[in-house]
Amino acid sequence: MRRACDNPFAVHRVLRERYRLSAVEWQALMARLEPLGWRGAIVGPHGSGKTTLLEDLAGRLERQARRIHWLRFSTDQRRLAFVPRWEAADFVLCDGAEQLSFLDWRRVAAGARNAGGLVITTHRAGRLPLLHRCETSPDLLHSLIASLGEPLSTRECGELHARHDGNLRAALRELYDRWAIGGMKAD
Amino acid sequence: MSEPLTIAPTSGDSSRKPRDVVELLAQWSLPSTPQTFEARLFWFTRGKGTEDVGVVATERVPAAGARGNHRVRFTLPEAPYSFSGRLISLIWAVELVADKTAARWEFVLAPEGREILLQQSTDAARLR
Repeated sequence: MRRACDNPFAVHRVLRERYRLSAVEWQALMARLEPLGWRGAIVGPHGSGKTTLLEDLAGRLERQARRIHWLRFSTDQRRLAFVPRWEAADFVLCDGAEQLSFLDWRRVAAGARNAGGLVITTHRAGRLPLLHRCETSPDLLHSLIASLGEPLSTRECGELHARHDGNLRAALRELYDRWAIGGMKAD
Repeated sequence: MSEPLTIAPTSGDSSRKPRDVVELLAQWSLPSTPQTFEARLFWFTRGKGTEDVGVVATERVPAAGARGNHRVRFTLPEAPYSFSGRLISLIWAVELVADKTAARWEFVLAPEGREILLQQSTDAARLR
């Protein structure tokens, strides 16, 4: 019996993986934010690491003594309730901004007008200047799988990446199922 | 003590039954006296989907200084039992939290003291 808690692709293990940016790339990303007035969009398709990057950014901003406020939207959570008037010490992070209607997005943007910063994740560019574009590759998938402790061949990683159109989350879910039924092997 | 914070049962192993009383020894050696210090009895899930958690009891730990020890006791509830299938595992734990530092002791809660393993009823087809 293969227990769910031992599955190397279980959610709690996958969530430990952080967005792959080198120290230099982080420095460049943070340097891009300031001239953008601390407003920018992390853009990418499903499963490309946008939320992970935003969470990593939150950690860095917190270390700069910023007051972080999260807004999280998804296909199950599209409604926007009360929007406060944030102040200069506040930094607003909005995950899943593409889920917001034009009107709700305007409400968020208005609420954050005086905030110290606003960074969103979205599938499409346009609502804020581009801060970072998230892209995946078979090599990235290969590296993630290896760090989860279940090496897979380069060829299989390539096929898996293509089968899920580059959606790493979906690829790792497939591997969860394969491991659960004993079907994982590095060939 | 190498770890800044530890929590471990004063007797027995990690197998427990419903209604058992579990006694744990909390020990700490921190840079300063913690402002918030408590032990929490809870269960959580791990597996493929969204993780769930249920806090059953909380006990404040009186921290008189940066170093010390304290015994905490919890009466375990009837359920839920510890179990594992292919999609989800339910795990019981007691967590000791001092400000932003935490330590955890995981254990099994079940009538026989053994984790219930959901057998092959979840076949590959149902995983999809």
